[in-house]
Amino acid sequence: MTRRYTRDLDSWWRRLMSEKLAIRRNSMMAIVLSAIGLGFTCPASFAADAPVDFERDILPIFTRFGCNAGPCHGKQAGQNGFKLSLLGFDPDFDYDALTKEGRGRRVFSLEPTRSLLLTKPTGENPHGGGKRILKEGPEYRMLLGWVVRGMPRRLPDAPRLARISVVPQRQILDPRGIQQMRVTAHYSDNSQRDVTRYTQFQSNESGIASVNEHGIVRGQGVCGEAAIMARYMGAIAVFRPTIPLPGKVSAATYKALPRKNFIDDLVWKKLQRLQITPSSGCSDEKYLRRVYVDIIGRVPTPQEARTFLEDTRADRRTLLVDALLAEPEYAEHWSNKWADLLRPNPYRVGIKAVLNYDAWVRRAFRQNMPYDQFVRELVAARGSTYRNGAVTLYRDRRSPAERTTIITQLFLGIRLECARCHHHPFEIWAQDDFYSFAAYFARVGRKGTGLSPPISGSEEIFFSVEGGSVTHPRTGKVMPPRPLFGQAPVIDAETDPREALSRWITSKSNPFFAKVMVNRVWADLMGRGLVEPVDDLRATNPASNPELLEALASDFQNSDFDIKALIRRVTASHVYALSSLPGPRNAQDTRNYSRHYRQRLRAEVMLDAISDITGVPESFAAMPPGSRAKELWTTRIGSLFLDAFGRPDPNQDPPCERTGDTTVVQSLHLMNSENLHRKVAADSGWAARLAGSKRGSAEIVEELYLAVYSRRPDSEERIIGQGVFNKKGTTRRQATEDLLWALINTPEFVFKD
Amino acid sequence: MSQMNNVTGKYCDGLTRRNCLQLGLGALSTAGFSGLLQQRAEAADDNARKRSCILVWLDGGPTHYETFDPKPNAPKEIRGEFQPISTAIAGVQFSEHLKRLSAAAGELAVVRSIRHSQGNHGAGNHYMMTGAPPRIPVGCGAFVSFHPSLGSVTAHDRGESRGLPLYFSIPRMSRSGGPNFLGAKYAPFIVPDNPNSESFRVRDVALPKGLAELRFGNRRELRGLVDRMKRIKEEAAGDPVVGLDDYYRQGYNLVTSPKAQKAFDIHSESPKVRNAYGRNSFGQRALLARRLVQAGVPFVTLYEGGWDNHGTIFPTLRKRLPAWDQTLATLLEDLKQRGMLDSTLVLVLGEFGRTPKVNSRGGRDHWSNAMSVMMAGARTPGGTIVGATDRAGYSAVERVLSPENFASTVYTKLGIDPATVLYTPTGRPAGLVSDPTPIRELLA
Repeated sequence: MTRRYTRDLDSWWRRLMSEKLAIRRNSMMAIVLSAIGLGFTCPASFAADAPVDFERDILPIFTRFGCNAGPCHGKQAGQNGFKLSLLGFDPDFDYDALTKEGRGRRVFSLEPTRSLLLTKPTGENPHGGGKRILKEGPEYRMLLGWVVRGMPRRLPDAPRLARISVVPQRQILDPRGIQQMRVTAHYSDNSQRDVTRYTQFQSNESGIASVNEHGIVRGQGVCGEAAIMARYMGAIAVFRPTIPLPGKVSAATYKALPRKNFIDDLVWKKLQRLQITPSSGCSDEKYLRRVYVDIIGRVPTPQEARTFLEDTRADRRTLLVDALLAEPEYAEHWSNKWADLLRPNPYRVGIKAVLNYDAWVRRAFRQNMPYDQFVRELVAARGSTYRNGAVTLYRDRRSPAERTTIITQLFLGIRLECARCHHHPFEIWAQDDFYSFAAYFARVGRKGTGLSPPISGSEEIFFSVEGGSVTHPRTGKVMPPRPLFGQAPVIDAETDPREALSRWITSKSNPFFAKVMVNRVWADLMGRGLVEPVDDLRATNPASNPELLEALASDFQNSDFDIKALIRRVTASHVYALSSLPGPRNAQDTRNYSRHYRQRLRAEVMLDAISDITGVPESFAAMPPGSRAKELWTTRIGSLFLDAFGRPDPNQDPPCERTGDTTVVQSLHLMNSENLHRKVAADSGWAARLAGSKRGSAEIVEELYLAVYSRRPDSEERIIGQGVFNKKGTTRRQATEDLLWALINTPEFVFKD
Repeated sequence: MSQMNNVTGKYCDGLTRRNCLQLGLGALSTAGFSGLLQQRAEAADDNARKRSCILVWLDGGPTHYETFDPKPNAPKEIRGEFQPISTAIAGVQFSEHLKRLSAAAGELAVVRSIRHSQGNHGAGNHYMMTGAPPRIPVGCGAFVSFHPSLGSVTAHDRGESRGLPLYFSIPRMSRSGGPNFLGAKYAPFIVPDNPNSESFRVRDVALPKGLAELRFGNRRELRGLVDRMKRIKEEAAGDPVVGLDDYYRQGYNLVTSPKAQKAFDIHSESPKVRNAYGRNSFGQRALLARRLVQAGVPFVTLYEGGWDNHGTIFPTLRKRLPAWDQTLATLLEDLKQRGMLDSTLVLVLGEFGRTPKVNSRGGRDHWSNAMSVMMAGARTPGGTIVGATDRAGYSAVERVLSPENFASTVYTKLGIDPATVLYTPTGRPAGLVSDPTPIRELLA
């Protein structure tokens, strides 16, 4: 390993030599050896005539050693008065910071070795960031050489960095395998340079394959795939190591797996690459509970469960999914999910605006509005907050920059927030891209009353105006509207630029639009997004199965963005209906859908389920009696239960994301909350009614299992259940309540399995 | 601590000694440097991470004139109706209705010179609760969070703890008291009920009313029998059910441990103690806070509204302050008697101070140029007054400090390095406190 690495450095130095760095070969080797920690020192012999270019030679050093990183001098306020642009995105700024500020002490031409630029990172002067570079190392010599030459800003013929490439790009690794990455910079004059030493590396799955600062990738003993990002001066390239599970699985095994649609095909293909085999299919009972929870956001009633479980038709699962998609509850459940993404804080934008927004979303889902139309109506929304709920998006996000951030993240899965202030550290997006996109919102006019928290009750009207522009905060340049990539319809003076924007966003030639939506829906149904976080699509965060993401996206496009068709497709696959229990070759898999991933029920689903099962509805403030948790129009409506189970908090900016975690607070709440206790024990409740009915205890036990678990008890469970009723000193009512309580408090209720 | 990534290193904050000398500030640097060293010593002290905090939040913005910073020599329209009284600290006066706290001043410290620029409730709350100013202008009624609160950060630092929620907020959450990007796991656990009521119990940590212990035992046993869902044993599979099991175990332990249950049972306090705290909701909440800390809860916020005295401030406070004074003084005394004061940080503050001139409605309005913050315990040197406002209380003028200094002090005392860099879920670094310099006078 060491030898290979030495060779890398050797070739790197050879290139430096060829660029007329007058270093004798023997001292060059000494530098190389000292650089890899072998303790040689080298004589300083930097020739005064070697060309040094600030951008090509100096800035990469700052990035490599973390000087311009977010926690140090790269942060907005700088560090101890010395500020660099984050990761060197603004060379002019950095050049000035070094040469013109700091009262001439940062670079000191008269006595270059006393420049703070050299004495700080070597630890000769106290440095908060500690010792970063060695006095004997090549970086020191490069920095010194630059000062000696009078700090040239740019060489007249200096080539620009065009891109970087990595070798290898894909590689099969052993579980504990090691691979050195090599990074080459390609310049505008077709020259190349090995920049491995100045590249920063990052693994998206360090539990599968880790990478160190030298670009050495190591398998961590677990099978799977990782993406190793190499970043050099804003350019990015990715290496994807694949670590298959040891042992061989025959091709025939994969060939024999059931295939209901293209999803199965593509998942099996990936599993074959990793030599993972899927779990067996799940029972009808599990499938029943999954589709109820996933599609309409509640558990089936005992009667509904019986009907399905007694159905012997071959296509009973498909028929059930179709029936559920036709339920009005479908719209309430999926609106509730979208509300997480869209709904602002009513204390900020006003009750009426939020209520109308919520109603607008629910109407769209009730009509099964095609998703592209849904997004067009939002992005180009106009009118009054009293009449068109969709404009609340614009009332909440008041500046072009805020609108850019939310719209790109929600509908394209592109997180541009970083590019608002600096070049995106993991991506290609620059501030230019951000403000050109923001320019689409420059002509949004408004009249009426703006925000006046905490009431903010007044009407505000949004429309298109003729004037208005967005300027780049750094250059002050007026930015013409430009999409992030591709072509957008031309804008004339009469039409609202947002019309053009919304057509560009929802166009079938925009791959991000369909991808982020199918990824969201996939994550909801499958327990994990193909890309995680679900709205962070980028080359450096690749999908665990890119072919599947592509196929789902084009299928969604072909259905003209019909969300129900998408749900139907996923739930019809064999992959959706796999058991959650691992087989012999997939226990480690948490990314490739070789088994169903368990998910805790959403807060609203669980609360509604408890209300249904106990027969005691919840009462909510600001909602009509009998309302369900999934129908709430704002998360400000108080509920200790929903808070405990992690609904989003609208006070947070950005709104705190919903969590699917389990916590001790949740366990305590299920175990002890007065509310649950009241529901289980209510005289009007279902337990009391069951106990008071003529049914035998065996029937009651079955009924409870069907209600809470959506399945009948097995023979052992029947005995356990009977035992509760036969216990001395326990009444029928108590037995029913106790069994109901116990079942609700088990994971089989809490999880979608 | 796993998510806390101390990237900046230990020495990124403050000026170096050399800087000071170069700037001709040699005299200052000695004190500054020793303050820094103290901070290091305290932050490195593992005991500090065992400390708890009771934050008494006076919502609305408590007046500094009628509490810790009276201005008897100011003109009548400024000094107000109350007289100053002397305290246990020579030459220091508090307002007349803080009789017990004045007598106990040797146990506490007051910072009179915190100043900031967020003069409305939403923004002021955010600044003082998190140590970070709101990122965008926010209105008075706003409930906003751009940064994790003191309580959530402490919960995050302490991690899991024997089934007890790590951060309580009683009886409600303060506006910006949430976890922000740390996630809902570190949100405060709210106990809305009034502990002064006969039927009070801490919600969810005790058996629900009307459920006999024996029956709970039966249910628990039954649950063990019916719980037959298969767990996935391989750790790499990350089965969330396994996590839930652990929480249930913790929950059971809490409910069935007589010791833990006793901690929550305010009724088991002697009438003498209960009366000493004051038989009102605030008094009993303070007592509950003490019991929670005793049981090992690291952070308790006592939210107490009604300090936004835009009108009739004098009659209101004349009625209110004596009981409030009694509760706080009792809390300090009680903590001390139980040997808990060294391990418990007590903070008393609100969003800001109040305007010098009494307005036409006989009240004082919002004023962030000056405010008083009380601090005691966790080895805060007693009898300390930090900084001063001008003669009329308009503005902090001596040793002017910021909410950042305040938050850094709190974190340092709780064993959390205020220079820590946290990472948001999107990977953006967020410094815990932008200026991680604590108030050195308050460090032991």
